[in-house]
Amino acid sequence: MFSKLENLNSVRNILFVLFISLIVFQASAQKKFTVSGYVKEKNNGENSVGATVYIKELLKGTTTNNYGFYSITIEEGEYTLVVSYIGFKNIEQKIILNKNIRLNYDIEEDVITTEEFKIIGEREDKNTNEAVMSTIDLDVEKVKALPAIFGEIDILKTIQLLPGVQSAGEGNAGFYVRGGGPDQNLILLDGATIYNASHLAGFFSVFNSDAIKDVKLIKGGMPAEYGGRLSSVLDITMKDGNFKKYEAEGGLGVISSRLTIQGPIKKDTASFIMSYRRFYAGDVAQPFIDDSSKFKGTNYYFYDFNAKLNWIISEKDRVYLSVYLGKDVFKFNNKDDGFGMDISWGNTIASLRWNHLFNDKLFLNTSVIYTKYQFEVGLEQDQFEFRLFSGITDWNAKLDFNYLPSILHNVKFGVNYIFHEFVPSNATAKSGEIDFNTGDIIKNYAHDVAIYLSDDWDINEKLKIHAGLRYSLFQHVGPFKRYNNTDFGSPIDTIVYDKGEPVKLYQGLEPRITARYSLRNNSSVKASFTQNYQYIHLASFASVSLPTDVWVPSSDKVTPQFATQYATGYFKNFKDNMFETSVEVYYKIMKNQIEYKDGALPEDNAGNNVDNSFTFGKGWSYGTELFIKKRYGKINGWIGYTLSWTNKQFGELNNGNIFPAKYDRRHDVSIVFLYDISKRLVLGTIWVYATGSALTLPESRYTIQGQIVSDYGNRNSFRMDAYHRMDLSLTLKGKKEKKFKSDWIFSIYNVYNRKNPYFIYFATEGNIYDGTLEIQAKQVSLFGIIPSVSWNFKF
Amino acid sequence: MKINKTVLILLMAIVLISCEKDIDIDLPESERKFVVEGSIEPGLPPFVILTKSEGYFSPVDINSLQNAFVHNATVFVSNGTNNIQLTEICTNQLPDSLLPTIAELIGVSLDNLKSFGFCLYTSLDPLIFGEVGKTYSLSIQAEDKYLTSTTTIPIPVPMTRYWYKDQPGYTDYGYLWFELNDPPTYGTAYRIYTQRKGIDSRFIPADGSVFDDHFFNGLQFEAFIWRGHESNPSGQSDFEIDHYFQQGDTIIIKFCTIDQPHFQFWNSFEIATFNNGNPFSAPATIKTNIEGGLGVWGGYGVTYDTLVAVD
Repeated sequence: MFSKLENLNSVRNILFVLFISLIVFQASAQKKFTVSGYVKEKNNGENSVGATVYIKELLKGTTTNNYGFYSITIEEGEYTLVVSYIGFKNIEQKIILNKNIRLNYDIEEDVITTEEFKIIGEREDKNTNEAVMSTIDLDVEKVKALPAIFGEIDILKTIQLLPGVQSAGEGNAGFYVRGGGPDQNLILLDGATIYNASHLAGFFSVFNSDAIKDVKLIKGGMPAEYGGRLSSVLDITMKDGNFKKYEAEGGLGVISSRLTIQGPIKKDTASFIMSYRRFYAGDVAQPFIDDSSKFKGTNYYFYDFNAKLNWIISEKDRVYLSVYLGKDVFKFNNKDDGFGMDISWGNTIASLRWNHLFNDKLFLNTSVIYTKYQFEVGLEQDQFEFRLFSGITDWNAKLDFNYLPSILHNVKFGVNYIFHEFVPSNATAKSGEIDFNTGDIIKNYAHDVAIYLSDDWDINEKLKIHAGLRYSLFQHVGPFKRYNNTDFGSPIDTIVYDKGEPVKLYQGLEPRITARYSLRNNSSVKASFTQNYQYIHLASFASVSLPTDVWVPSSDKVTPQFATQYATGYFKNFKDNMFETSVEVYYKIMKNQIEYKDGALPEDNAGNNVDNSFTFGKGWSYGTELFIKKRYGKINGWIGYTLSWTNKQFGELNNGNIFPAKYDRRHDVSIVFLYDISKRLVLGTIWVYATGSALTLPESRYTIQGQIVSDYGNRNSFRMDAYHRMDLSLTLKGKKEKKFKSDWIFSIYNVYNRKNPYFIYFATEGNIYDGTLEIQAKQVSLFGIIPSVSWNFKF
Repeated sequence: MKINKTVLILLMAIVLISCEKDIDIDLPESERKFVVEGSIEPGLPPFVILTKSEGYFSPVDINSLQNAFVHNATVFVSNGTNNIQLTEICTNQLPDSLLPTIAELIGVSLDNLKSFGFCLYTSLDPLIFGEVGKTYSLSIQAEDKYLTSTTTIPIPVPMTRYWYKDQPGYTDYGYLWFELNDPPTYGTAYRIYTQRKGIDSRFIPADGSVFDDHFFNGLQFEAFIWRGHESNPSGQSDFEIDHYFQQGDTIIIKFCTIDQPHFQFWNSFEIATFNNGNPFSAPATIKTNIEGGLGVWGGYGVTYDTLVAVD
């Protein structure tokens, strides 16, 4: 698939096709007029993302984009235009279309339906109607009534309740989509990549739900505007800030609290939102650590700060500035031993976006984004100092056009450039005044370019397609040193690349096609074919994702990952779209997958490259997903079931034999329900079940110097016990009429106190030489039953 | 280098709330592999213990352990000039005076050696005794399997000096410090043992006994070691002072230079024994230098020093 740099013809061809299609659309768009505008929420001025705008007479329409913009181009005439968004009152308006018109809508919350607590906001029959599959939208406000551990609702935990998305269990914010690893998910916050979405070794995610408006998960049929990852996109939109009035909201919890303020800077023109969350279990413990204690100074905390400004400059221009800062800090002191350590990790992002309307049909979003993830450990023991750090920084610029030439087409095209700076594990160490030779501080650099074109095309009443093509290019450039070493790490030679000198270039085409065919009775059949490249990789030693995992670029040793996914599904809605059901089947092949070689150990970069310890193979996953959702009514919620297989094969691992991936799950069930007991009282229930994780256990033991050591069996050939758990929550909402609203949320995590396996180890006791040795397998579980209460307020 | 271990301990400490229970696990019937534990030092005969691995949960008693020894194997050691067959000797056939030497070499306490009784392959032919700078190949035929390996006895790098220092907060306990001047060759590796005179019955590897010059190739530097323990210590130990030496101890230090494959074995062995039960680590595979089996065949370039611990 890859060719040399000189072979840029393919790029030119794509640009040509893009250009031609624009002309064609333009030509066919004559004698037609356009109605376009923005849809916003009346009470706070927030953009309505994904609201449906359609022409009643034609039964055709569009949905608003991420910035609330819509545009419909149809023949001259009189029409009825309908704006609908679940949880909001429909707007119907007669329009006479004899010229291009601009209509902005403020939609009002529908009092009755909000009280029914919809879980997911979307167009009534979006499920069966769109040429989009394997995609789920979550409205964050609506999931807040679900039970959560420590009362802290978490988006990443919530999406793990959807079919096809598997949780790695407690203590792991990583999620697995259709057999893909945690690094194969593209997590975006207002367009900026979040490289590590977890706090406290995965018990919490970095997303403070008070600052988040909308979450979209794409697990298959990825549109061409997204790329760079094999498995999924989690596109998270922060709230814009209230345009109408000042508002404060927050929550007090047992171990963490949060506060959000938002309001207009200039009414209806500019607004801001700021949100801060802090986890303070360690702070709370501080007063109880005696001043004379040798552990004085030991603490753990994390925080998240989100801020966003947005300014409507004119009818055609709007600017957004989003910032996120988050950090985990862990300090450990043992002054008696002269030992001190601090570990910190966190993300910093800033994203500046400018929306510009060229005309009624052409919308442009320009983004400039900075994102950084950094991990650092410092250790001190007497006169020794050791520091280890790693991370990744991106400078990212994007142009995304949205062109709506007619009601039958929704064209998107754009270009994206990212400059990556990788810092794989670097160490510095010294003893007193002597600096140890830990090698140069190594940084890797790469250019990452993509262009794309896609069209949502209503071919006829029955058939609608999304066709897209993405071309991506990745170039690893110097300065770079390639160390070629023997298996035991002694150097053979070193190749040095100067600044900007190409190390390796990869490029490829990524076609994306999804088709929908409507059947009678509110049902449809969909199918998709997608191919994706992934040029950056997360190397993970452990069986859980840790902040120590390092991101590495494709290089002369590491070929980009490449996946092909086929999916097909049947979608049907019942009873006025009250029930949505779907069955999807998928098959995915992943090439150039990465694992560490057997027996590889975490290393620094002294005279070595981290990718020298990688080994490569392939993976494949297939399965089926069932989803039944009751969208409204006193009881609403969903049931999801996934049956799947995920396998891997690596020449150098497991003697070249096929082995199950560690996140291979045969069965995965989620049941999620909300019951509106009264207008102010909501009961939430979750039950989850997952086949036990695969792991490698020792097959036999032997004795060296009187110590028992293990010889491991086939990779991932053992299964832990199944994971299952039930959670309950009761939300008591404050009176709606009052200005100061407060909610109490009582929740119980793991109601029946299931001891779910977290890990297994073997304890050996006694002396092997006098026959008193005993070996016992032990299973460690994290959370038993945990009740919690939190109080949220808003005024 | 204790750094990895410390990070892991602390990561485990992050797991604040947890509980554990005993479980039963059915592991499949496994193939029994040959395990070599062999060493050679200057002026001493080669020693090779040959055992077989056992099913992880197979019963542990004296009989099964004795049955793990592989008898009647054909074991040859060659130094390039002489190829000598080793003979099988069990410790109960040897005079008591030789036992401390054997306990040191195979790394078990004298008590365990006496009570348990080891069988090993060795040769008292001086032609095959260890010599500095030579390479020794091992070949074993047992049942219908062949095992081979080679190791060298590197020229020992001596320690520049040793000293003892009280640990801050203690008046009588502290670490054993050393200064090493690492030669410019990349990949030099070391193993260090101590024996407290009158207390330890043999040389005991330090806790974290092996290190190589990955961080300090060609440098002169200071560092300290954690005192090691008998594999199966009898009696309670006080964790607080567990890794310290005590003022007044007479410490005999055995400092060895070893080759890289030999180092890789002990390094991965020490990580594996430490990591047992750590959920954040991948299964720690012990790197072997035995072709066709498990374990190690290692040569030691040895230096000895004695230090009386006085601050």
